[in-house]
Amino acid sequence: MNMQPKTQQSPATQTPAVEIANLSRSFQVGASLMSKGKTLRAVEDVNLSVKRGEVLGIVGESGSGKTTLSRMMLGLMKPSGGSIRIDGQNITTIGRSELSRKVQPVFQDPYSSLNPRKTIGQIISLPLETHGSGSREERTKAVEEMMLQVGLAPRLIHSYPSQLSGGQRQRVAIARALMIRPEILICDEPTSALDVSVQAQILNLLKDLREKFNLTYIFITHDLGILEFIADRVAVMYMGRVVESATAWNVMNAPRHPYAEALLGSVLTPDPKLGLPDLHLGRGFPDPLNPPTGCSFHPRCPKAMPQCSANAPRTTRDEHGLVECHLYPEGASK
Amino acid sequence: MAAPDNIDAPPILTVEGMSVDLKVPSGMLHAVNKIDFSVRPGQTFCIVGESGCGKTMTSLALMRLLPRSAKLSATRLNFDGHDLLSLSDHAMAELRGDRLGMIFQDPMTSLNPVYTIGNQMEEVYLRHRKSGRREARERAEFMLQRVGIMSPALRLKQFPHQLSGGLRQRVMIAMTLMCEPRLVIADEPTTALDVTVQVQILQLLTKLQEEFGMAIILITHNLGIVARMADRLAVMYAGKIVETGSALDVFTQPHHPYTQGLLRCMPTHDHGAPATRLGSIPGIVPSLVGDIRGCGFANRCDYVRDACRTGDIALRELPDGAAYRCVIPPDEALARPAELATP
Repeated sequence: MNMQPKTQQSPATQTPAVEIANLSRSFQVGASLMSKGKTLRAVEDVNLSVKRGEVLGIVGESGSGKTTLSRMMLGLMKPSGGSIRIDGQNITTIGRSELSRKVQPVFQDPYSSLNPRKTIGQIISLPLETHGSGSREERTKAVEEMMLQVGLAPRLIHSYPSQLSGGQRQRVAIARALMIRPEILICDEPTSALDVSVQAQILNLLKDLREKFNLTYIFITHDLGILEFIADRVAVMYMGRVVESATAWNVMNAPRHPYAEALLGSVLTPDPKLGLPDLHLGRGFPDPLNPPTGCSFHPRCPKAMPQCSANAPRTTRDEHGLVECHLYPEGASK
Repeated sequence: MAAPDNIDAPPILTVEGMSVDLKVPSGMLHAVNKIDFSVRPGQTFCIVGESGCGKTMTSLALMRLLPRSAKLSATRLNFDGHDLLSLSDHAMAELRGDRLGMIFQDPMTSLNPVYTIGNQMEEVYLRHRKSGRREARERAEFMLQRVGIMSPALRLKQFPHQLSGGLRQRVMIAMTLMCEPRLVIADEPTTALDVTVQVQILQLLTKLQEEFGMAIILITHNLGIVARMADRLAVMYAGKIVETGSALDVFTQPHHPYTQGLLRCMPTHDHGAPATRLGSIPGIVPSLVGDIRGCGFANRCDYVRDACRTGDIALRELPDGAAYRCVIPPDEALARPAELATP
C-alpha cells in the first residue's frame, strides 16, 4: 500500500465532507406498559457543515449530545429527524460497509476499545480483512507501514494490548481507524484518558496524520483548550443544541454565547498569578427530561433577560458563524 | 491562590523518608520512594504527576488505607501530634473522618448507594462527636448549606443516584467537613466533573478553606488546577518528588527537566496564534519494580548525562524552601530555552 497522500478531489467539487441538516434524536425514557414515558431530546435541530480537510471541534458538557451526534455520524444510531450527508450522499442510502470505508471512529478509552485477546497486528489488520483487501503478506506489510506512520515500533506487532501503555494503545486505535483510508475520522475524547505528556504526543500525531492523509476530523471534547490547538471550527453544544459555531479563533477570543464564554473561562491555564475564574454561573442544573422553557441555558446564564425564559432564541447566522442567544437577535449587526 | 504562606506556624503534617512498597509477582514495586514534605495549617499543598507516579499511593498511605500487599515505612510521619506509623488501627479510625478528611475522585463510588445522604452524613457525626440524632441532622443540614446545596432537608432524604455529579461531590465535601478536619486530602476531586462544575467545586473548596481554616493536600494531574490553587507543590515522577517549591517559583522558574517538559505539553491560550505543535515528552515511565538506579527520568530526558544513571541523585536546594532532584546545577537548568526539545 503506498503512503502517498490521497489525491484530493478537484476543488471545483466543493461538496462538504459532512453536512448535517435539522438533525434530531430523541429517546423514550421510563416507558412501561402503562405509560409512554418521557421524551429525552438528546440532539435537537443540529445544522453543521464540515469541509473536506477541516477539523470541526464539538465541545460541551456531559449530556450535551456530543456522543449521540457522533454515533449518528458513524451510522451506529438512526436519527429521529433530519439528515446527515457524507460526501453529498445521504447516510441512510450508504451501505454499512461503504460507510465504514469513509468514516472511522477513535474512541476515548484505549483500554476498553481494543480486544484484549488479539495481537496488535490482528487488531490493526482487521479492517482490511473485513473489507477483503490484499493477501495476507500484503496486509502484514500494510500494518507494519501504518504502525510506523503512527509512531509504533513494528516489533510490537505480536504484542497484546495489555502490554502497551495508554498512549501506545491510542496509537493502535488510530492506526486501525486509518487502515482502510477513511476520509473522516470521528475522535470522541481521544485524549481524555491519557496523561498530559502523552496527550500532547497524540494531538501532535493527529495533526501530522491529517496533513499526510488529507483527513477530515470531527473532534469531540469537553476541553476547549485542546480545540484551540487542533480545530479549525468549533461548535458549542448545550442540551442537544448547537448554541454557537464559529472559527476556533473566534470562539477562543471572542465567544458570543454566554455558555461558550463560561466554557472558555473554565480553561485553567497554568498561570500561578491567576486565581480561579469567577464564572457567575447559576448552579441549577436543568433536567433534560423537563427542559426549561425558553432558552435551555437561562437558569445558569449570568446574562439572562426576561425574554430568555419566555421564548427560545432564534438562530442568528452571519459572517462570524452561528449563535443562538437573545443577546444576538437576527439582523443585528453583531 | 489561597491563604498566604504560613511559614512560621508549625506543620500540621510532616512526612520524612516515606516509602510505599508493593509486592507484585515480578518483585518489589517501589510506588513511593523516600519522599519528604510538610504541610502547614491553612495551606494548600498540591501533589502533581502523571499516572503511576505514586501520588495516590501517597494519599492512601497518609490515611493508612493502603492495600494489604503494601508496606509503608518512613523515618517520620507526624500528623497534628500523632505518629501515624505507630497509631493503632482503632486510633487511626478515630482520626479519619474527624481531624483527617478525604475527598475521593468519584463521588458515585465513594458514597454508599443504599443509604440516604442524611444517613451517611449523620453517621460521621454520631461516631466522632457522640452526638444525638437530632444534633447530627442539624449539623448535616448546616453543612449542606455551606456547600451551596439548596433545600438541604430534602436532599438529606435522597439517595446518591438522585443527585448529579457536581451535587454528589458537594455532598462528599460537606460530609468530609462535618467534624471540621484540620487536614483534607483531596485526590483528583474534580476529574470526573464537567469543566464549568470543576471551577465551581474548586472555588467552593477555597471558600471553605478560608472559613474553616483547614489545610488541603490536593492531588491532581491537572497543572492548570495546581497553578490556580497551590500555595506550595511537589512534582512527583516515578515515586519520587523531583521538584518542590511555591507555585510561583515552580511555574515561573521550573528547574527539573520533567517539570519543564510537563509545562510545555499544555495547550496555551494567550489570545494569540495557537501553537502549531505541542511540546511532548518522548518515551514512557520506567518500571518501578526492583532496584532503580540513578534518576527515574533519565531515559526520557533531553539533558541526560553519565552521572544521571548511577547512584542516588541529590536534592538541590533553592531559596524559599524550593528544591529539585537533578544533577544539573540551577543556572544551567534555567538557561534552557522554553521551546527547545520540542520535536
